[in-house]
Amino acid sequence: MVTPTIATENLTRRFGDLVAVEDVNLRVASGQFFGFLGPNGAGKSTTIKMLTGLLAPTAGRIQILGLDLVTNMVEVKRQIGVVPEGMALFGRLTGSEYLNFVGRMYGLDRETAAKRTSELLEFMQLVDQPKTMVTDYSHGMQKKLALAAAVIHGPKVLFLDEPFEGVDAIAAGTLKAMLQRMIARGATIFLTSHVLEIVERLCSHVGIIHRGRLVAQGSLEELRAGVEAQAAVLPEAATSDGSSREKLTLEQIFLRIVGGSRAASQELSWLG
Amino acid sequence: MKQAELNPAVPNPAPQAPRQMAAVAELRWRIFVNSLHTFRGRLELASRIFVGIAFVAGGIGGAVGLGGAAWFLMLEENAEWLGALLWPVFLFWQLFPLMATAFTKNLESASLLRFPLRYRSYFLIRLAYGSLDPATTVASLWLLGITIGIGAARPRLLPWAAVVLVTFAMVNILLARMAFAWLERWLAQRRTREIMGVLFFLCILSLQLISPLVAFYGHKSNPETRLLGQEFSQVQRPLPPGLAAAAIARAAQGQHWPGRFYFLLLGLYGIAFLWLLNFRLRAEYHGENLSESARRKASPAELPAPHPGWNVPGLPGPVTAVFEKELRYLSRSGPMLFTLVVPLFMLLVFRSSGHNQDLFAHAPELTFPLGAAYSLLLLTNLSYNNFGADGSGVQFFFAAPVRFRQIMTGKNLAHAAIFALEVALVWLGTSLLYRPPSIRVTLATVAGILFALPIDLAAGNLFSIYSPTRVEAGVFGRQRASLTTVLASFGVRGALFSGGALMLWLSRHYGNSWIVVPLLLLPAVLACAAYALALNHIDGMALGHRENLISQLGR
Repeated sequence: MVTPTIATENLTRRFGDLVAVEDVNLRVASGQFFGFLGPNGAGKSTTIKMLTGLLAPTAGRIQILGLDLVTNMVEVKRQIGVVPEGMALFGRLTGSEYLNFVGRMYGLDRETAAKRTSELLEFMQLVDQPKTMVTDYSHGMQKKLALAAAVIHGPKVLFLDEPFEGVDAIAAGTLKAMLQRMIARGATIFLTSHVLEIVERLCSHVGIIHRGRLVAQGSLEELRAGVEAQAAVLPEAATSDGSSREKLTLEQIFLRIVGGSRAASQELSWLG
Repeated sequence: MKQAELNPAVPNPAPQAPRQMAAVAELRWRIFVNSLHTFRGRLELASRIFVGIAFVAGGIGGAVGLGGAAWFLMLEENAEWLGALLWPVFLFWQLFPLMATAFTKNLESASLLRFPLRYRSYFLIRLAYGSLDPATTVASLWLLGITIGIGAARPRLLPWAAVVLVTFAMVNILLARMAFAWLERWLAQRRTREIMGVLFFLCILSLQLISPLVAFYGHKSNPETRLLGQEFSQVQRPLPPGLAAAAIARAAQGQHWPGRFYFLLLGLYGIAFLWLLNFRLRAEYHGENLSESARRKASPAELPAPHPGWNVPGLPGPVTAVFEKELRYLSRSGPMLFTLVVPLFMLLVFRSSGHNQDLFAHAPELTFPLGAAYSLLLLTNLSYNNFGADGSGVQFFFAAPVRFRQIMTGKNLAHAAIFALEVALVWLGTSLLYRPPSIRVTLATVAGILFALPIDLAAGNLFSIYSPTRVEAGVFGRQRASLTTVLASFGVRGALFSGGALMLWLSRHYGNSWIVVPLLLLPAVLACAAYALALNHIDGMALGHRENLISQLGR
């Protein structure tokens, strides 16, 4: 049996009385482009923070590349790249200084860090602002820089928390191209996003978290088949949006699984 | 619920200013109550109560003193000297909030703009909530004392004095708000922020010259000093404290119309400050764009040449990277850079005081150790809030494959390097301005540093993890370590300096001044061991507090 690249066992996180993530058992195989979806407050960011060592789990185990995260934290971090929520940039460095800094923190020697910095700035089209500090970058430029920093050491696994949020179409195109290239080279990518079209286009596998619990996981085809099988048992649900005869989109699958139809049918009295 | 109440055609009622102000008051109250849910919040409250008691004591003490002085001046029919009482009040009111930002907690009132606030409500909220600070409380108590003092001496003058001093208080509030609003506007952009930082720092430094100037002119012959006093009296008269004093003094002399004229001029100052404040807040209200990226000029693309980072022999790559990053950050902070020259400047100030007043003229051997101790104090905002300037970047330290002890080592080395540079400058300054410190004093000071610095850095590391505060360069009142940390750093330094003083006393007691060197080196060894021990445990502490660090610095 092949060891999954990312595996969790009963992963749980409580904040006081609130159970943000409960008994999540994720399995992400090597080379997968995995989209992690869920409604607001479902536990996506909490999960990705635990997977990257930014947050301690209350219970459960995390294995990345076959290594236990708690006991091999530094070794795991050496092999992963992260674009966390908030991007974790250092505003008073220039883009070049920041990438150099990150490269050296990941153990690259000075020359290699400098060379990769140069290449990344060019690839990300950030070379025209060599003396501008990160704090003065636009939001899209900061996203590109954060992604550049996450890949400078050539990680085997990449964790991205909402990488396309607030990014224009041109910058998004650059980011997608880079991610596709990484997948082609055998890397594993774990991504959270609210934009279901992007996930559908990029990801081979999807996990859906709802109210802290992992309610679905698998390839898009597997999820589609599961929802359609459920619809066959409950014919009224299948016909409610008239989609049963066509191939279900990820958005439809997502709404069926997390029960999004209830909110859509409600009305606010004062909004007319 | 009746359908009529839910009719979508009925428009929302216009937001009312009192309701909105009450909502903001409730917001502040909720923020305060919620902050008490954490240990850090409760500790911060305890610190604030402690400091609050000190402020109230200072306010009441000052009020009694100033009230007594006002009473005496009025009895002696020297009402024109009231200016001498109002000037300290004025300077404290305006300068204290700028100098002691750790004691001030401003509401981010500009963020209220997303709500349907009328301009009048926004203006009042900015004016009212911005004025709830210790300076206003203490200075108001002082003015109350002066008013009571005047009333006790000349009861018939009390209503007029009260009107003038209330107006004077309003002028101060408007000036302080106006200055803060404009400063925030200038601080919103990095370049102007750096220029402002340097100017502000020069102002603070220039205040240090007051004492030498007083000492200098104190030696001059009486007529000369009197002439200078008269000149100053002429210069200060058209300014708010001078006008308020003149308005009361003229009324006390029975010259009511001149008194009213001065009062009118004071009121005009208030109107001018009000207009400038209004001008600034109206621009904010209408959504001015202070974005720097929008104004950036496009420059032709150029391929950057590979530029390797620093190489410090003997240091691992990650430690060097943190060391380099810290020094780059510091080099981009004008005010921080200028703190490097403060100890030298203080030596100059003491030197220019004249030999009779110069502390170091009587005990020149103290110059170097005291200068070094002062340099250590200046490190507080750097070393006791290690991650403050990193903001959300602190997440990177948790995501990177580096142990926290390496990160702390890099930061501590950078701070120690800055401190070493400062001490070298102080040594040089002492040599040039006084005389080169003797080998005994130099060695004793170095031994004292070896004892104090490791403990100070270790304590700084702990407070940086347990009580982090995000440093926001662009917003006044949120630029320094937390109040808890500031008070704790005073305690640590107090203990360290007491330890040093004890060793000095012991050496004198045994009649051998050289003995102080080994006496300090012994605890220095223990201090280094304690530092190493604390550093070994720093990973566990940082991981244990990562949520707090990320949430406090990344917000």
